[in-house]
Amino acid sequence: MKRGRSPKQRLLALGHGVILFLACLVVLVPLAYLVINSVKLPREFLTVPPTILPTQVTFEHYGELFEDNKTFRHFRNSLTVTLWTTGVTIITGTLAAYGLARMRLSAKILAAVTFIFLFIRFYPRVTTVIPFFLVMRELDLLDTVWAIIIGQLGITIPFVTWLMLVVFQDLPAEIEEAAVVDGASVWQRFWRVVLPIVMPSVSAAAILTAFLSWNEFLIASSVARRKASVLSIAVAGFVSDKGIQWGPMAAMSVVMIVPMIVFALFAQKYLIRGITFGAVKG
Amino acid sequence: MNSSWHRRHDLPWLVLFVIPAFVIVVAVQFYPLAYSAFLSVQDWVLTESQVPKGFVGLENFVKELSDEIFRRSVRNSVLITAGALVLEMFLGVCLAYLTMGSSWRMRSIRTLLILPMVIAPVAAGTLWRILLNSRAGLVNHLLSLIGIKGPEWLASPDWAIVSVILLDTWQWTPFVLLVVGAAIASIPDDLLEVAAIDGASRWKTFLYIELPLLMPLLLLTFVFRMLESLLSLDSIYSLTNGGPGYSTYTLTYYIYTLGLRSFDFGGAAASSWLFMIFATFSIGLVFWYQRKDW
Repeated sequence: MKRGRSPKQRLLALGHGVILFLACLVVLVPLAYLVINSVKLPREFLTVPPTILPTQVTFEHYGELFEDNKTFRHFRNSLTVTLWTTGVTIITGTLAAYGLARMRLSAKILAAVTFIFLFIRFYPRVTTVIPFFLVMRELDLLDTVWAIIIGQLGITIPFVTWLMLVVFQDLPAEIEEAAVVDGASVWQRFWRVVLPIVMPSVSAAAILTAFLSWNEFLIASSVARRKASVLSIAVAGFVSDKGIQWGPMAAMSVVMIVPMIVFALFAQKYLIRGITFGAVKG
Repeated sequence: MNSSWHRRHDLPWLVLFVIPAFVIVVAVQFYPLAYSAFLSVQDWVLTESQVPKGFVGLENFVKELSDEIFRRSVRNSVLITAGALVLEMFLGVCLAYLTMGSSWRMRSIRTLLILPMVIAPVAAGTLWRILLNSRAGLVNHLLSLIGIKGPEWLASPDWAIVSVILLDTWQWTPFVLLVVGAAIASIPDDLLEVAAIDGASRWKTFLYIELPLLMPLLLLTFVFRMLESLLSLDSIYSLTNGGPGYSTYTLTYYIYTLGLRSFDFGGAAASSWLFMIFATFSIGLVFWYQRKDW
């Protein structure tokens, strides 16, 4: 950028700054307001005008949430589901992607595989929710975290396989040739040579999977409404015809959102990589 | 030892690598899909019978297509998705340009702007439910400060649709920003420099050089967002719960409630297969576009 800008340029720069500032406000204000609401006194809820700065900070809504173990259980269930889903997805998805990438499939078969991945990602998932519910009922798995985990795996495994397939295909063949000459087995090549190189992509895939799993609602709400209920169901549960409990609803939303925001800020590089990659390459 | 020897001996291993993922996907995706196709031609309401009552041909499809709520849900889905997409694409592309660059400041702004995306859609729904409360909500309060009397966001049928569009836009504009931002960054600088030397204005450079380059990606992003917006359930569930009345029932929401609240498995399966025809067509479009790039 050159020094000594004309008035017009300065005006443009100012406008630029103002728009970005407003955009940041549009993101931040709702989030801040949610946090404020979670520490407001009940009587300050439906006031006109709204109470923006509460006179007193209270943690009673959080206390209410955590006093009967239910929220702990939701939290624990969400964590269990996320860890299992992410772990199993990364292992099976990465292996499958490597297998597919090295099989030297014909272009036609590869195209079919691609279509299947795209299809699974975007078909109306609500179609399979009822059959899945019936299968889980048959297997006596209804209302267990396993039903949620199995259901989510059906979404996350194809997703990660597809992400990693492109990564493995882009890897130059020379990297493995030396290992082939040394007589290394497929497993050794995968484990010692390839995996360390693609680790950043694996991390990106893992982080994205964890997000999908933690935030997932459709499958969880269809197969596990009571004992195995997770945070997303608990948050949605506040919307009932009996009237809304504003305080606990805000507090529960904060409990669900905050870990992901902290996680997103730390793992930002990988998250962005996962999202843009997944979109651009399918 | 040659490479074909290796290929032959590798194959069993490679197949073994693929099997676990394959088994899970077939069991969790393809089997339920086939099951759902079966259900779509069966008469089965769980509250009436524990087992399917028998083959009814296309009756479920006919029933759904003439159902008032089904039609209304389709209309709502189209309205919401169209509204949200126009806003998201426009704002996303603008913001992608405004946050270009790798300076510390721009990177922090980008980080901040993508936060809505990492929030669980159910929680985003409750968040906006608080903000849009017509009397005590923050949005109407802010509007009143500049002299506008805010509408009954969630209580009026039309404004409830607008509310859903706003929520979708708030949460997913960052996605367009991210994808388009990455694409802009990958346009070679010399291309733009040549245009600048030739005296092309910034706007013309965008219109004649960058836009054509970005077009395939914009179309792809458009179809991606379209499908995801059509399929979204969580945010509507916690923002409006379909209401008031049926005024924010989307197709996904309709199928969900038909199946899991009314337990009309046949009807739900039939409507999801109607939905599927459209989705498959759109997925085919994405597929075709991606193949062209290879």
